Amino acid sequence: MQFSKAGNFGEGAQAPSPIVSLKSITKTYGALKACDDVSMVLHPGRIHGILGQNGAGKSTLMKILIGLVGPDSGEIRVGGDPVRVSSPQHAADLGIGMVHQHFSLVDALTVWENVVLGDRSARLDSRRARELVSMIGDRYGLDIDPDANVGQLTAGQRQRVEIIKCLRRSPRVLIFDEPTSVLTMEESKQLFAVLRQVVRNEGATVALVSHRLGEVLESADDVVIMRDGRVIAEMPTSGTTPDELAQAMVGRKVRLRSSDAHHMRRSTRTNHVEVVLRMSDVSVASRRGGVDLDGLSLTVRAGEIVGVAGAEGNGQRVLVDVLSSLRGVTSGTIEVAGTVVETGRAGAMAAAGVGVVPEDRHDSGCVLDMTVAENLVLTSIDQMSSRGALNFSAIRESAQQMIQQFGISCPSPDVPMWTLSGGNQQRVVLARELSTKPKLLVAAQPTRGLDVSAIEYMGNRLREAANDGVGVLLISSELDEILHLSDRIVVIYKGAIIGETPNDAVDMARLGLLIGGVA
Amino acid sequence: MSVFWHSALRRPKFGRDQQELALLYLACLAFSLLLAMLLIHLSGSSWTRAVNALVDGAFQNPGRWGETLRRTAPLLVVATGSVVATRAGIINIGQEGQLLIGAMGGAFILTLVQPGSPLMLLLGLAVGGTAGAAWAGIAGALWYWRRVPIVLSTLLLVYLSSQIAAYTLTRGELLLNVVPGEPNRLLLSAKVAPESRLGIVQIFGNRFPLSVPVALATALVFGWVLARTTWGFRLKALGLNPRTAQRAGIPGVRYGMSAILVSGATAGLAGSMMLAGGESQYKFSSGFASNVGWDGLLVALVARNSPLVAIPVALVFAALRSGSTFLSVAGIEAVLVDVVRGLLVVALFIPPAISELRRKRRAAAQLTERT
Repeated sequence: MQFSKAGNFGEGAQAPSPIVSLKSITKTYGALKACDDVSMVLHPGRIHGILGQNGAGKSTLMKILIGLVGPDSGEIRVGGDPVRVSSPQHAADLGIGMVHQHFSLVDALTVWENVVLGDRSARLDSRRARELVSMIGDRYGLDIDPDANVGQLTAGQRQRVEIIKCLRRSPRVLIFDEPTSVLTMEESKQLFAVLRQVVRNEGATVALVSHRLGEVLESADDVVIMRDGRVIAEMPTSGTTPDELAQAMVGRKVRLRSSDAHHMRRSTRTNHVEVVLRMSDVSVASRRGGVDLDGLSLTVRAGEIVGVAGAEGNGQRVLVDVLSSLRGVTSGTIEVAGTVVETGRAGAMAAAGVGVVPEDRHDSGCVLDMTVAENLVLTSIDQMSSRGALNFSAIRESAQQMIQQFGISCPSPDVPMWTLSGGNQQRVVLARELSTKPKLLVAAQPTRGLDVSAIEYMGNRLREAANDGVGVLLISSELDEILHLSDRIVVIYKGAIIGETPNDAVDMARLGLLIGGVA
Repeated sequence: MSVFWHSALRRPKFGRDQQELALLYLACLAFSLLLAMLLIHLSGSSWTRAVNALVDGAFQNPGRWGETLRRTAPLLVVATGSVVATRAGIINIGQEGQLLIGAMGGAFILTLVQPGSPLMLLLGLAVGGTAGAAWAGIAGALWYWRRVPIVLSTLLLVYLSSQIAAYTLTRGELLLNVVPGEPNRLLLSAKVAPESRLGIVQIFGNRFPLSVPVALATALVFGWVLARTTWGFRLKALGLNPRTAQRAGIPGVRYGMSAILVSGATAGLAGSMMLAGGESQYKFSSGFASNVGWDGLLVALVARNSPLVAIPVALVFAALRSGSTFLSVAGIEAVLVDVVRGLLVVALFIPPAISELRRKRRAAAQLTERT
């Protein structure tokens, strides 16, 4: 994953005049200063990483640049001339394009139709549009079939369509908002190669908004770190370390790898403790005729963290769905703490002692329109009632206890779940799942979309759970997260576990091969 | 449309949002009333006379508020059932048919068993409720087995139900009351046996059947059940997020089916109570439902998914109905009432829809802001 960082000019050379400069940009929402006197310059021929936690003001700043939001004060210069960017259309005319985190594509249309959507020309020339897509695709290595239906594309391919939409206007400045949040590792690698090409060949500027340290370090030439709406630091990426950046991002020391805690746990690990999860030869037929899980076997013992590594889309979601009683298996058995559990029956896994922190908490983790208290007692409602009538004081008491224990910040247990921030919603899910004293805790992509301190909190909680004797199954596409937390690593590929290694003897080269499907 | 259903699923907000919502309601109601007044004015009548006629017809004139109460009962029972279904995320819009089938089922006991008895009354109401539940259950079964959308199947079953009801009224061995020497073109059933009729309450010259207290009790009981029992709690979780519910041990089929059966049973009960309470001279006909099912559904929607709020809403709807009979006496087109009612319903839908849209936008803005 090493990219050459050969910019158009070396260290210490005179930088060309900036293409975009932002001066003292301020934007407030009510009492919140989203951007507080932010100044920044973007140079042609460079990739600028804009790094910060959730809520640091990165997105607001970019929205100001693209004309979606007007600044309260400050000055924007493009190519030296002061401008007022009034709309994204205006920004496009100025040569600024943006690829948003959430795509704006029409599923029912083909790739080329999406690319020319919004054109104002009177005539629709499908032949030219197809050629345009192929040409841009060839030029930048954005391999895509112009006649493919967008609805059938993967997230990575959809992003390519978005990028092509941007590139066809030959922008001088390209903004990417968290581009890798939907991508697999391989796709991210390809994306950064494309970005490098755009920068090198066209002399364009890329602004890469991200909260992932690693990718910014690897792909950007310069990095700007934002925190609480301000620019905290600005430096070339060569010569910085991840720890340095992390500290600037959070404003305090974060242990990216708390190896000491790790070793402590390791020494207590034994091999003959109770098996809490045994999946034997589990297969799940997919709805399209293939298999989603293909003879998957897996064991988790009490007190250990087993990390399931693998590129996304190899059956991880189905695995979690099965362990959440959301899908039944076609063949194979699942034992939880020694008892075979019927799959696909509502709540059977939960009753058997499987807690789940799902990948998408809005999908199967919580009910956004119920209150925080109701969400906290969702699985234990029978204990909170007598003869079918709810015992509200018991519900309230139990909720308040969990809120305190897990540091959930909410004005009251009776506010709707949707009013909470993502990190706090995640805590609610975690609190509920741990409150039922599970034997196994499944955590799927538990830190996705969370900021650095929330990630740290999540990691600590998982470790604590393991220390308390819960078996933890950690499913993540972030290899770092798996290496950081697990005792044992298994690799999932095309619906089966194809390899296993203890974390203390991990052979990175072999792990990489396994993830790539080379057993 | 989906915005309406969604907003109907949601409980009211708090604080500033609530104030905003109240203001919106006031503004929309005022606007719709203004529009109604304008309409009446344009049609050449005086709106003060129209309002007077409505109030006279609904409450003021002798015996009228009893009439209004009589009409309130089925609306309220139907609305209560609709609320239960909507809570579970099931959009049952076939109450009109379920009510008709319920009345038909009841008629088999109430009109055919002569002489009747109080026991036969209870049996008739039970059969009516069961028939309504079974009719709604068809839609439920189609959904859970074959994934036929419930909105569609319940709606289409309405048309089927009126065909079936009409058929039972073409045959003497079924419900048709064959009067010797007459052509029997009216297609009516016999009268409900006098001993099987619902008791009539008389207060100050106002008469209404016992279905009124039954309806009130139904709304109160289900209001309590939905808010304060594990069944209600699980129904709500299921309606708002079926996947989370499944994971948490709430089987969608069982709870969803129970909700749709309850909503069908209430509609069926409403139909058989109408029959036993004296609707269309205690005779069953194929047009017996006469939009009570649809109106009940509207009551539930306007009451935003609360059986308790449905009580006053049903009363208002019933008052508009009973009041409208006096409009023509005052020389005003009675259809104007339908227009006014339509305006009112739209006015009552707009505020929650707006607040829902704003909430969505705010949530989306919040999402993008944080990244």
